Amino acid sequence: MSAASADLAALVPGAIVKTAFGQSTAHVELDQWSTAARFAHDDLGCVAFDWLGVEDAGRPGASGVRHAVLLHVLHPDTRSGLLLRTELAADDVLPSVAGLWAGAAWHEREAAEMFGVTLAEPVARLLLPDTFAGHPLRKDFVLAARVVRPWPGSLEPGEDSTSSPSRRRTLPPGVPDPVTWGPRKEENQP
Amino acid sequence: MTAELPPRTRGVIALLESNCTVCMICARECPDWCIHIESHTETVETPGHARPRAHNVLDRFAIDYGQCLYCGICVEVCPFDALHWAPEFGYPGTGSADGEGAVAELVHERDVLATWIAEVPPPPPLDAAAEPAPETTATRAVRGGSGTARRPGALRGRT
Amino acid sequence: MFAERGLRLDWGITFRITVLDLGLACCGVEVMAAFDGRGAADLEALGVDPVRDGGEAHVLVVSGTVTDVMLPAVVATYEEMPEPRYVLSVGACSNTGGPYWDSYSVTKGIDQVLPVHVAVPGCPPRPEALLEGLAALHKLVVS
Repeated sequence: MSAASADLAALVPGAIVKTAFGQSTAHVELDQWSTAARFAHDDLGCVAFDWLGVEDAGRPGASGVRHAVLLHVLHPDTRSGLLLRTELAADDVLPSVAGLWAGAAWHEREAAEMFGVTLAEPVARLLLPDTFAGHPLRKDFVLAARVVRPWPGSLEPGEDSTSSPSRRRTLPPGVPDPVTWGPRKEENQP
Repeated sequence: MTAELPPRTRGVIALLESNCTVCMICARECPDWCIHIESHTETVETPGHARPRAHNVLDRFAIDYGQCLYCGICVEVCPFDALHWAPEFGYPGTGSADGEGAVAELVHERDVLATWIAEVPPPPPLDAAAEPAPETTATRAVRGGSGTARRPGALRGRT
Repeated sequence: MFAERGLRLDWGITFRITVLDLGLACCGVEVMAAFDGRGAADLEALGVDPVRDGGEAHVLVVSGTVTDVMLPAVVATYEEMPEPRYVLSVGACSNTGGPYWDSYSVTKGIDQVLPVHVAVPGCPPRPEALLEGLAALHKLVVS
């Protein structure tokens, strides 16, 4: 009786099972995602839906390029869990498992909105306002407020805000280099 | 207005200016970026010392209480104990009749922060069952301060 | 507190002070404590009547994080208030965005959209601090 148990993962056909820290992940290819989900629901009896989440690739430069989709479902009698995983490229379409577990529909919509995962059918926005641009939970999404607002900690002891720094000031955490991100500064001032 | 406040209540943060050396650690660690510090450096020539000493003089120390989340990171991280909790809670910011400037009224400068020092309670007493502090049980003068084990420290006999 | 010291604040005869609490997040709980809990006796001394309808309230207490999706609802509540109307902003989140000032989905302070007459600092402020804020609002109205 445990989450993400190894014995259920071993039964999924065509899955590569990795176990770490007592939890097992059954990785399947994207074209096997629906098949594996149906197998988990019908044959393994995991009819209780827990969660469906997305992980960003996270490596610098790779964010938004590949996403890992994880699905955790439970067998209601033994309460063991099965953690299924697949990987998507940026333009791949994620087949929906909402036909098997109705609760998955909300999670898929949230993943589409927050990470930019393409779903088989376009759906209305869930949590973000209509005017929002971008996918906020991706690792390369910059919080603009941190870039725009001046950080009081960038001053050195003995400086005040009017002094021009003798060397480049430290940036606060979460703020990218202004050379790589942000409004372009005019090269030649008239 | 009085209220029954429990001990170690977090009210407002007060500044003991004589302890502040303008190290900027509180401004850097604040998660809300609400501490604004400005300072300048002054050099002091003291006769008898080998070289002139520079020290930082505080020009501005302001805490934006509209932004502050009262986490206490600045109080904990200050190496010189210049920031303290004071149990004050009645300091709302009032704007104009049109509703302008109420939130800006919540930025408090060092003079207001210094008045709250008077309300800082004494620290809670040590647990009676705890081991005694090494300062009280040492047989040698561990409070020698500067100097080696053989030469007397600057503070010997004065503390 | 106020009731024991016998302090009564006269709001005047032109309007009742009806207060609507828009409890959006954690600060809403402190406002509830001020209106329904131990502080309820002080409301009588302050001359404050909590109401549940925007159409009856002259004071809007915005307490809690104002998210961008919730903002139209807050503004709509303000629009249905009768004149003269005042806004009390309670807590760091509705003052400036507070701990969530860098979030992608939070409005950095309700004063960006509505006029705020009194801002009560805190995260969250004590119920007594909220009552002090109402007393400050009284001073503003009467002056």
